[in-house]
Amino acid sequence: MTEAETITAVMRALADPTRRAVFERIVNCDEITVVELTRGSSVTQGAISQHLKSLKQAGLVCERPEGRNVFYRAEPRGLEPLADWMSHYGVFWRDRFANLRNLLKDIDP
Amino acid sequence: MNKAVNPETQAIVVDEIFPHAPQVIWKALTSGDLIGRWLMAPSGFQPVVGNRFTFQTRPAGEWDGTIHCEVLEVVPHERLSYAWKGGHASNEGYGAKLETVVTFTLSQAETGTRLRLVHSGFVLPKNDTAYRKMSEGWKDVVRKLDVVAAEQASQKLN
Repeated sequence: MTEAETITAVMRALADPTRRAVFERIVNCDEITVVELTRGSSVTQGAISQHLKSLKQAGLVCERPEGRNVFYRAEPRGLEPLADWMSHYGVFWRDRFANLRNLLKDIDP
Repeated sequence: MNKAVNPETQAIVVDEIFPHAPQVIWKALTSGDLIGRWLMAPSGFQPVVGNRFTFQTRPAGEWDGTIHCEVLEVVPHERLSYAWKGGHASNEGYGAKLETVVTFTLSQAETGTRLRLVHSGFVLPKNDTAYRKMSEGWKDVVRKLDVVAAEQASQKLN
């Protein structure tokens, strides 16, 4: 996928209000199962599963199977395609300052 | 700092104190080999006003990922500034057209040397408000996406 296609995929996944509500609930907890997601929702488990599938395809959530359960959590890099230059460089420069600190320690102990 | 900066643009500021003499930090900022060890490897860098050099970064769309720089100011052990340009008008977000300036300022601090980086000139597109606050964190972003998401949803209905 190109950058633009990735952005569209993420936006599309979050455009549906029910799906967005599901995503918000996942973001707000460490890990959650389909059953738990269904419990606090007005839609069926089948519908929740479909939404999870879309969120997964958009790279917004990832899953961890354990026994008979599957735990879902937010994928921290999922919203990265939406980041603009400024947030890119905000992270970039803080990283590079950390590198610089290490380098200075090396050349001037 | 940079009085010519367009009021519609914003800057990133990182300001830290390093337990080293300004001379040592200056060397790390102005030696091509050392720059490569903490920032990125520059191609053709000389700490001389007017010098043009490049950095190679991740390409996006029609942009090949090259950052084009030109040294704007050199005050040994005090200030180094260069233009930082790249991107392409056909891109949005990462890889969009970028015309910025990077300025390093060194000053004395009690426990060493203060290094202040100002990366200025980011134009915030008017239609980009939903994305803009990304760095404020997940929960916030999700809330701000509401507007855009609602627009997309209504388009889908029509």
